[in-house]
Amino acid sequence: MKAAISTYPKFAVVGHPNKGKSSIVASLAQDDTVQISDTPGTTTKKRSFPFKVDGKILYELFDTPGFQRARKVLAWLEQHDVSANKKHEVVQQFINQHKNDPQFNDEIELLEPIMEGAGIIYVVDGSRPYGEEYEAEMEILRWTGQPSMALINHIDETDYSEEWKRALGHYFRMVRTYNPMSANIKDHISILESMAQLKEEWISPVKASIKLFENYQERMLQKSSEVIAKLVYVSVSVVEKLPIPSDEASDEEKKKIEDNYKNRLRRLEEDTQKKIEDIWNHEHLRKQQPLLPFKGMDLFSEESASIFGLTRKELLVTAATSGAITGAGIDLLFAGHTLLLGAAAGAVVGTVGAYFGFNELSEVKILGKTLGKHYLQMGPMENRNFPYILLGRAIWHTVQVAKRSHAKRGVVNLAMDSSFKERWLDESLRKSLENYHKKFRSGKELEAEVLNEYGKLIQKILEGLIGNEGSLKQLPDTH
Amino acid sequence: MNLRSYLDLYSLLQEDTSTPEERRAFGLSHVTVKDKPIEQLLAWMEEHRYQLKKPLLSEAFSSTLYSVSLTLVAIAFVLGLLSGIGLLSYNGHEPVNVIYFMSMVIFVPLFTMTLTLFSMLRANSVQSLLVHISPAFWMERLLQLLPHKTQEDLKNLKVNPLLANWIVIKRSQVIALAFSFGLLCALLGMVATKDIAFAWSTTLHVTPEGFHSFLSTLAFPWRDFFPWAVPSVELIEQSQYFRLGDKLSEEMVSNASKLGEWWKFLAFATLFYAIILRFLLYLLSSVGLKRAIRRSFLSLEGAKKLLSDMNEPIISTHAKQNEAVFRQTESLYSNVADSLDASYDLVLGWAIPKEQLTVISESMKVIAPRHYEVGGANTLEEDNEVIHLSHGEILLFVKAWEPPTMDFIDFLEALTKYVDKIVVYPVGTMQEQYRPREKEIDVWARKLSTLNHKKVWLKR
Repeated sequence: MKAAISTYPKFAVVGHPNKGKSSIVASLAQDDTVQISDTPGTTTKKRSFPFKVDGKILYELFDTPGFQRARKVLAWLEQHDVSANKKHEVVQQFINQHKNDPQFNDEIELLEPIMEGAGIIYVVDGSRPYGEEYEAEMEILRWTGQPSMALINHIDETDYSEEWKRALGHYFRMVRTYNPMSANIKDHISILESMAQLKEEWISPVKASIKLFENYQERMLQKSSEVIAKLVYVSVSVVEKLPIPSDEASDEEKKKIEDNYKNRLRRLEEDTQKKIEDIWNHEHLRKQQPLLPFKGMDLFSEESASIFGLTRKELLVTAATSGAITGAGIDLLFAGHTLLLGAAAGAVVGTVGAYFGFNELSEVKILGKTLGKHYLQMGPMENRNFPYILLGRAIWHTVQVAKRSHAKRGVVNLAMDSSFKERWLDESLRKSLENYHKKFRSGKELEAEVLNEYGKLIQKILEGLIGNEGSLKQLPDTH
Repeated sequence: MNLRSYLDLYSLLQEDTSTPEERRAFGLSHVTVKDKPIEQLLAWMEEHRYQLKKPLLSEAFSSTLYSVSLTLVAIAFVLGLLSGIGLLSYNGHEPVNVIYFMSMVIFVPLFTMTLTLFSMLRANSVQSLLVHISPAFWMERLLQLLPHKTQEDLKNLKVNPLLANWIVIKRSQVIALAFSFGLLCALLGMVATKDIAFAWSTTLHVTPEGFHSFLSTLAFPWRDFFPWAVPSVELIEQSQYFRLGDKLSEEMVSNASKLGEWWKFLAFATLFYAIILRFLLYLLSSVGLKRAIRRSFLSLEGAKKLLSDMNEPIISTHAKQNEAVFRQTESLYSNVADSLDASYDLVLGWAIPKEQLTVISESMKVIAPRHYEVGGANTLEEDNEVIHLSHGEILLFVKAWEPPTMDFIDFLEALTKYVDKIVVYPVGTMQEQYRPREKEIDVWARKLSTLNHKKVWLKR
């Protein structure tokens, strides 16, 4: 037996074909490249998923093919009448003798990591009834002598877990339930903790891995927040220019710069979404979202404005209060000698600005007339609602991506829930955000510290929605 | 750490193509600078400096900054010199009023230095008004309008606003120093080459004693060391001048040689207020600039990511290699039985216990002389016995939800040698009234198509 070769814990996820082994591995390894299908035999070779920190493996998971000829293997093993302490040697003999025998390819693939010291994670589907045909598989695993646990996966709604637990209890010391499709970080960590219990010397490395894994999750949130903060800042402050031959712009030229401007904003959003998907290890996410065409639930339509951003009324209130804060600054500067007129004036200016800034994206300006080089300019974004729309969409997207199981392979629908805004945006947050958006709109160079603070504000929002322990708050499943 | 290193890092971060793994390796291999972000950035920059394209942006910027500063310093010196000469010009009729010169070397510097101190406090703000009213700021803007080749290279350079403010503040001090030197040189030059009759004149009611006391206060830094550089009450009395009458007083004319003594006070005042204090501010602005560079290092675009890549462990959970793509075959299986016959020679159940098998047969209204369980908990020998007993047409119930294994295919292959027809019938669970799901039957169809035996039929 080669069990002493590696010092880090190994776990082989084994079981009957098509019971969700690959889904469990995809979920635990946060790898969306694992092939998952309802066709048995999708996994033909064992596949290693090492949890590496700076290149050092802390533990390793193996996805394996399902048992195909369990009764034949067991029959071969049972021909050898040996004492319990020699049984694992018989399994090794089986591997050695049948290594090149194609009929036992799958069994060899799944038994090899076990005989190299991997703990066994035996997966069954708790939504389907127990059957005696599983007993041969469990008996073979018992012959290996390796520490083992059973995981009851729930592929469907129906529940046969009680009868499974009774049967599995005869073969495994630990029986746990884990649904890779709906598991959150808390469930994930809980399973890792159970895996650590399989062998005393695995407790410490797996616990260290859990700690690092938690930090890793926090970093994902932080990185997402930074990316979103930059998206909002760049989108609001971006300026599109179009050289024109004369000092008067034609309608086509005006339309062209508007299209260029909108496309640029959309590209920025797409790029950010891709970055966030990469951060959360969803590089292969297929999604549907009402984004590209400017119709219906459009980024720029008033309908979307009311769902993603602020309604006109909310916008007026926000602008008035943030305007008043600026005015109050003037009062403070003059030690109140302005009799608080500054605050009142600020509120009026803010409100009027917001009223006119609801529909306008940005005025198309003709610049450079005096220098002889004419060009059209669009931006920075004048629409007061735009940053809220963009931020709302980005937060929604991030929450959906963070929440999505790596075992899911379907197309995710990113159409936003109409009540989502109420879950992340309140009055005080709106005021805080508006102060930043005002700075972004000013077109002035932004201090790095301001963007950092904005990012931290977004991180707090994401933490509130995703939860500190990674347990996602109740959000409707859109996929 | 200086402006050059800031600009070199700026250029490196713009052009850097290092991977997160390489950055982390750097972080791990430079343990001495761990938890010291600035030192880490400097160490990283030193190691990657060879990647910088020449001419270096830092050199271009420093050279432009140097030439612009030199021009401004020269202009300021000349302005100071001319101002000094103008203020000390003596036409032989009216004495030179020291109050003008004092204003230029004491009060104006004190006022501008106060503004400078405020601008230093406000330098962290992007749009600092106090910085923008600095002559250095506007003189530079004017110089930028002149055609200059290197400025093209610097057009896209985005210096941190905080840093830009401190550069302007520091440069303002150098320019002010040059201006003050100009004034001092003018004073010394004029004193050395001309006889200047200094006097003081004011509309305000100031007594010579009061004025002496005021001057003595102004001279506090040097009066104890150089008492001769503080005008005496006597000198002040003698040099008070009233323009009324357009004629010098007798006393002034008789003491003309003494009136020149004022220059000592003026020289010390220039030295202390316009030069030494300004030099202290220059030192302060140098410290401020250095601190601004430190802060700007961390806010450089890409610096935060570089530091995070260096200091945060790279966690990977992915598979070592890509999985071979699994191609799913079509679920078309031609041997499909749409209905069951009323009777079969044998009914078998794959991993279905005999009692349950009987119930299923009854519910399907199928008659058969014998029912056997195969697979499941049976041994291979028991299955072989059933195979040897089999003949004619066989109905083989299977659990639709359990995907067919090779164990089943082996059994089926063996069975085909003894029988004429096998109808594989996937059934659902008892709760589903044995009705299978469509996608489960597809799975069975795909598996049977790999066997593709004419005797094997699938009941859909």
